[in-house]
Amino acid sequence: MEEEIIEIERYSEKEKYAVFDKEFMPHIDSMYNFAFRLTNDEDDANDLVQDTYLKAFRFINSFERGTNAKAWLFRILKNSFINDYRKKSKEPSKVDYQDVETTYNSVEDAEMDATTDLRTETVQDMIGDEVANALNSLPVDFRTVIILCDIEGFTYEEMAKILDIPIGTVRSRLHRARNLLKEKLKNYASSMGYKTDEMAEQD
Amino acid sequence: MQMIQAVLDGSASAAEVEHFKLHMHDCLPCIEGYKLEKSIKDALQVKMEKKCCPQATVVDIRAKIGLGIVLLGFIVAEVKLYHLLFSC
Repeated sequence: MEEEIIEIERYSEKEKYAVFDKEFMPHIDSMYNFAFRLTNDEDDANDLVQDTYLKAFRFINSFERGTNAKAWLFRILKNSFINDYRKKSKEPSKVDYQDVETTYNSVEDAEMDATTDLRTETVQDMIGDEVANALNSLPVDFRTVIILCDIEGFTYEEMAKILDIPIGTVRSRLHRARNLLKEKLKNYASSMGYKTDEMAEQD
Repeated sequence: MQMIQAVLDGSASAAEVEHFKLHMHDCLPCIEGYKLEKSIKDALQVKMEKKCCPQATVVDIRAKIGLGIVLLGFIVAEVKLYHLLFSC
């Protein structure tokens, strides 16, 4: 993050506080929710949000008033998470994204849409915790795109800027993430006795 | 399915949206896929708990950047101005 910052004295001291208060602080709940979904830990989420806001203030001159403050803050938080928190995360095992991507780039992925037999009604019957458990079980890079798109409502263009990847990669990563989420939801539904198409066929 | 997802996400191109509108109703797996994708998106948006930032964290952040002091300064200045203008 730091190396990309162009230090122009855009704001006076008074303006810095005004920008911080009016443009950054309204997003703090979304930021915390994002941090919590990334870390799965309230203390880590607190630290991550604090670090992000302190960095945002430190580099406030690189933010142009009236532009997308939420996307700008999310980008800082995502970079802080990758650089600082991922290494010392309390999560017991991390799946390397490249491994996962390679797996889901295979032929199996192309056929996955057809083989996922999760039913719409089953998803509608699920409670929030069940959906959250399925989401939390995804590798963090897949979890991230789903949070940004489906929970925070960012466009693909905004996500590309936040994640620093091309829009095409956003689309394909989101597609793979959703396929994986569907698999998790389906497995969870089966284990909890919800009806899936697979089970319906057996009836 | 990527195109259906892009339409659902509001990030599809104009050509994709047009294609979707023209062919969606002729494709049963597409309709089923759309419904499933939408139900998952809705579940993520509506059913999952949204964590709010603890007030203590907000206070900490403001204290660390000194915003609290600045705001207090503004309030003191306003009170002084009020007294200056309206006191006899």
